[in-house]
Amino acid sequence: MCREDGSSEVQLGQTHIMGFVTGQLVQPYRDRPNEGTLSIFTEFSPMADPSFETGRPSESAVELGRIVDRGLRESRAVDTESLCVLAGKLVWAIRIDLHILDNGGNLVDAANIAALASLLTFRRPECSLGGEDDLEVIVHPPEEREPLPLIIHHLPIAVTFGFFSSESLLVIDPTHHEEAVMVGKMTATLNANGDVCAIQKPGGEGVLQSVIMQCLRLASRMASDITKKIKDAVETYNTERALRKIKRHPTSITLDGSVNLKEKLNEPSGHNVVNELSRKHLEKPRLASAENASSPGNNGEGESKSSNFGRSSRRDGATSNFVGGAASWDPYSRGVDSDFLKASLASRGTLTPKKKQQDPTGERKPNESKPEESPGDVIPTTSAMDVSETGVHKGGEKTLKDAVKPKHKRKKKAFSSTADAS
Amino acid sequence: MEVDRADGRNPNQLRPLACSCSILHRAHGSASWSQGDTKVLAAVYGPKAGTKKNENPEKASIEVIWKPRTGQIGKPEKEYEIILKRTLQSICILTINPNTTTSVIIQVVHDDGALLPCAINAACAALVDAGIPMKHLAVAICCCSAESGYCILDPTKLEEQKMKGFAYLVFPNSILSVLPEGSSLVQGEPMEHGIITSVTHGAMSVDDYFHCLERGRAASAKLSDFLRRSLQSKLPGDLSKAE
Repeated sequence: MCREDGSSEVQLGQTHIMGFVTGQLVQPYRDRPNEGTLSIFTEFSPMADPSFETGRPSESAVELGRIVDRGLRESRAVDTESLCVLAGKLVWAIRIDLHILDNGGNLVDAANIAALASLLTFRRPECSLGGEDDLEVIVHPPEEREPLPLIIHHLPIAVTFGFFSSESLLVIDPTHHEEAVMVGKMTATLNANGDVCAIQKPGGEGVLQSVIMQCLRLASRMASDITKKIKDAVETYNTERALRKIKRHPTSITLDGSVNLKEKLNEPSGHNVVNELSRKHLEKPRLASAENASSPGNNGEGESKSSNFGRSSRRDGATSNFVGGAASWDPYSRGVDSDFLKASLASRGTLTPKKKQQDPTGERKPNESKPEESPGDVIPTTSAMDVSETGVHKGGEKTLKDAVKPKHKRKKKAFSSTADAS
Repeated sequence: MEVDRADGRNPNQLRPLACSCSILHRAHGSASWSQGDTKVLAAVYGPKAGTKKNENPEKASIEVIWKPRTGQIGKPEKEYEIILKRTLQSICILTINPNTTTSVIIQVVHDDGALLPCAINAACAALVDAGIPMKHLAVAICCCSAESGYCILDPTKLEEQKMKGFAYLVFPNSILSVLPEGSSLVQGEPMEHGIITSVTHGAMSVDDYFHCLERGRAASAKLSDFLRRSLQSKLPGDLSKAE
């Protein structure tokens, strides 16, 4: 299945969230005639937790929505002025839907990442003014003109901490077990430039100023780490997307002699190659950052063991996940690819895929061995809690392996997270 | 008559299927089912005490919640919920756990035609994953008929919109029997030929409808094989999971 523009899937340990971004042309608010709007809808699906109910959003759902919203809107991460089409008449209203699929704790951070990743991959159709008096707005479908990405200035990343009743006990990225027993929590939203976009500490136990400052320091390190991961995943997606467009050129040129950029999402022709490529891309930054995360963890230690637990569970799953499934193998498109890559117009990811395609087998082997290497790294810091979790992973893993094609990226992901933590 | 479909399939060909079970950690049972680009995620929370007001307390009841990809929940979603609920009620053994509610939550990940059949298949797999007792499984398929009278299976969204009419059909799973009696016969016909659910949209003639039924029935055999294969493989590992 081809992952669409503007959608993302995030797995943070056991927490699983999906985000979708859609855009619509609407009338702007009266007091802001030049700006588009951004709205966030959070769905606490009963799928995620037996205690979630449908209907009225609960307090925590509203709070989550507000934290993510504040991080994006007030820090001006998304450029709303570029969303204006006709001042005072028509602007783009961007709507972000976040679906919580599995509540493993720390929904805020994961929801934030999902929102950012889907915003980065969202493309809005290009509009131009036409008709008489240039007052009519024509929305160009993606086949005619390439849709445009949103302008995003920076990525505000939320990092949540949990406090416990004993003074210096502090956990980063709490799981839902930890959330049940913690007495206070704090969410700090920062970006990779070191700016603090928002801090939310809703009641709970009072903590010392020094602890708060320490949290902010930790959070800024985490933020740059996560920003890099999100950017890598989005790059992979963009590369895959560009490849998909290029692949369509041969078929359309032979048929009707004109270059048509068709968004053929139903095409069963082989994207297997691309999938393996993108899977590898995801594997590499994941594993690389797993190694990176362990070193700041060791330096910034001085807290109790429980922060260790939190950190290792974090390392397990913190990535954006893009599923790019293929229906069947199409040997023809592979052969044509390298030719058309050279001949095609310069699109963003042209150079990198060419390089990678010439050496797919070479890359595959080192990657396969990597999951085996990293467990050696992570074993000393893994807690007993994580081992029990991986037992569950392994049970699930066998079933996924037997699933008929297309192979979902989630499966690879579960496997790697198992390998990491075990 | 040969017809050209946009993605090159022949009229009787289904899109590639994929099914994964136990993908969520909190839910008692979960499954994801995809047919081509249409992908649906289903989660089941096992019997909870108590039933809703209108439900019969002598039997277990099933509650279905349908979550669309974006947007508010409206009438079409409610309709899907009702159809799914009635379908699942007919395949589950309701007398085992009276006065309980089993919740099935469906999340649409991507809709590219044949959404309801995909959801029914996913819900069925998730119920198995949760261990809810059932009489037999159900396999759902979408057949549509075009103006010229030919019938195609498993349409994509574009094909669905172009067609004169289409039908969602749900058949019981074919039984693989260990005993020599073979499949059970109901009134002389094998049980697989019964229809659990049929939902039609658009207009089609009676002949077209029966034509679709036959095609659908044939395809359901393939689907039940696939379902059996993907569910069977998880059985040995299932015992280690503590739920």
